[in-house]
Amino acid sequence: MSSIILEARDIRYRYPRGMEAIRGISFHIRKKEKIALVGPNGAGKSTLLMMFNGMIRPDSGLMLFDNQPVRYDTASLRILRKRVGFVLQNPDRQIIAPTVYQDVAFGPTNLGYSEQEVKDTVTQALKHVGLEGFERRPPHQLSGGEKKRAAIAGVLAMDPDMLVFDEPTSGLDPSGSEDIMELLDELNHEGKTIIISTHDVELAYPWADRAILMLGGKILQEDIPEVAFGNPESVRMAHLSLPTLLELHMELQKRGFLISGKKPRTVLDMMHCIETLFEKTGNQTKYGTITVCNVDLANGGLLSAWLTTCRNLSIGAMGTRAKLRAEYMQIRLDFTYGVIDKCILKALLGEDSLILTTESMVRRVYQRVDAYGKESGIIIPVQPFETMPGTVNSKSGDSS
Amino acid sequence: MFEELLEDIAQKNGLREVNTYLKLMAGLGAILLCLLSTSYLPPLFIAALLTGAILVLARVDALTYAKLFILPIWFACMSVAGIVLITGGSEIFWQWDLLPTFSLSVTRESINKGAFVFCRIIGGMSALCFISLTTPMTDIFIALRQCRIPDAVLDLMMIIYRTIFILMDHVIQIYHAQVMRLGYSGYRESIQSFASLCGAAFIASWDAGDDLIRAMDARCYNGKFALLGESRPVECIPGLTVMIFLALSATVVTISGNLTLF
Repeated sequence: MSSIILEARDIRYRYPRGMEAIRGISFHIRKKEKIALVGPNGAGKSTLLMMFNGMIRPDSGLMLFDNQPVRYDTASLRILRKRVGFVLQNPDRQIIAPTVYQDVAFGPTNLGYSEQEVKDTVTQALKHVGLEGFERRPPHQLSGGEKKRAAIAGVLAMDPDMLVFDEPTSGLDPSGSEDIMELLDELNHEGKTIIISTHDVELAYPWADRAILMLGGKILQEDIPEVAFGNPESVRMAHLSLPTLLELHMELQKRGFLISGKKPRTVLDMMHCIETLFEKTGNQTKYGTITVCNVDLANGGLLSAWLTTCRNLSIGAMGTRAKLRAEYMQIRLDFTYGVIDKCILKALLGEDSLILTTESMVRRVYQRVDAYGKESGIIIPVQPFETMPGTVNSKSGDSS
Repeated sequence: MFEELLEDIAQKNGLREVNTYLKLMAGLGAILLCLLSTSYLPPLFIAALLTGAILVLARVDALTYAKLFILPIWFACMSVAGIVLITGGSEIFWQWDLLPTFSLSVTRESINKGAFVFCRIIGGMSALCFISLTTPMTDIFIALRQCRIPDAVLDLMMIIYRTIFILMDHVIQIYHAQVMRLGYSGYRESIQSFASLCGAAFIASWDAGDDLIRAMDARCYNGKFALLGESRPVECIPGLTVMIFLALSATVVTISGNLTLF
């Protein structure tokens, strides 16, 4: 377990002339964790989040960042706010400047970067969120999802260690929400600690490492999502709903089907559960191959040529850069979210799939497939695109 | 209510990539020449050229452009009518002694003066439209910073610019909500709804101000607003075009001299 980055010790806060918003909360967050803060409206989620970067000072109790008590003088707050990036719920409230470039450059400029450094960080941040070419656009002309991305880029440009998102998916369409969640995953994979507050149980359940259920300014439950969301009583108290997969799992258990192993987090887990239940690992004896293509290295012409030889190939893209590349190459994407799991599902059906991704995420594909292999005993072949001769693939494409 | 804003047109216009200073020079130069001119003809000439540039080069929709003129022309007509009636002269066509010491009259001089003012308004208006339809505010900010406008003024301008759109969105939403519940069905309702709209807009802007400070604080605001991107270089053909336009207009101003309508 990595070290603790943020800790709260019995913090309390009362709004001026208002009710007590936070009533004695203690918790800790480790580095590189993905935390979902869930609870009904008025549970104190936003207030709590605002304490993470010192926007609100608790009346009593102690906040620690990196094992140091948070100090509230201007200089210390600046350092804290550089390290804890905060993305507000409403991007309109966060975007200050008249153009995307200026807004993203706002943080770095105030941190005293040189002009060239500002330019580089802005370019990098915009690239990260997939908004290249939007530099001169005024924010009011962007769509909801683009505004959100611009706001995230503005925070990323300051290179924080921890990112705090207040309702990151509110007001976005389902595909936009998935894109944002995937971006959060990508950021987490690069070593950033991520905390979100949300009402969306379905989104938080498979995503989070740990979930914190809040109610009435207190923590109701704090645990891994399977446990935190797995208690119908606390879920009901927190005005939430059970994640569908968990509910299904529970209903199956109630009906006397003994489902072993851990509770399902994803459709893939659920399939595994059901297949074990019926002692049937599918009627498939030959599994499909997952090809992983690193878009930074792959030759575009070769990839296009190969794609024309394949039939029944499902294509998924992971990461902003991979998606942009796919769009550029006019590749029709079947999956853009939860890509690895969906490709494993395809492989279990004996179908081949291709994952377009970037350097840092390639390893994750192998890790996930290995983990699945250990759990289920099914070995799904994964091969990198770069090393494989075209003929082998066209053959396997035909066989499916 | 505000379906298409001038700013949105400017962001997409055909002359977007032309150097900001060139466009400003053409627009401001045109206004200056309209003011310098002593005849009714040069402003019309300038208006015709600039209108051509707006419609053909900047590819602005003709109807949108025409609509922009409705309000100023109304205003121009009213003031010109006043000028024509009040200005005296030697060659009187029509006269009405309203009061013992005050009479309304239409004279040769007054008609000439009226036509002159009217043409000037048209000329100035088209120059202003040229600037606002081809140069987005964001580009003007860059030019202003390069012209050493104090940072505090410019930062304020940029924040106001950004906030206008947020406030406008908010106002439109409230307005729609009011219309949907028949807020503007009668005279009485209209006044009440409009008053509450203003109140809500005030509160919204107050809130937005608070949020703005919070958002800036959260991103380590230290009194510095981001630097602006660089502007495009002056290219040969646009540069020459502007020069020719200004030279041509200046020539017309000189040649036309004191030419009058009749």
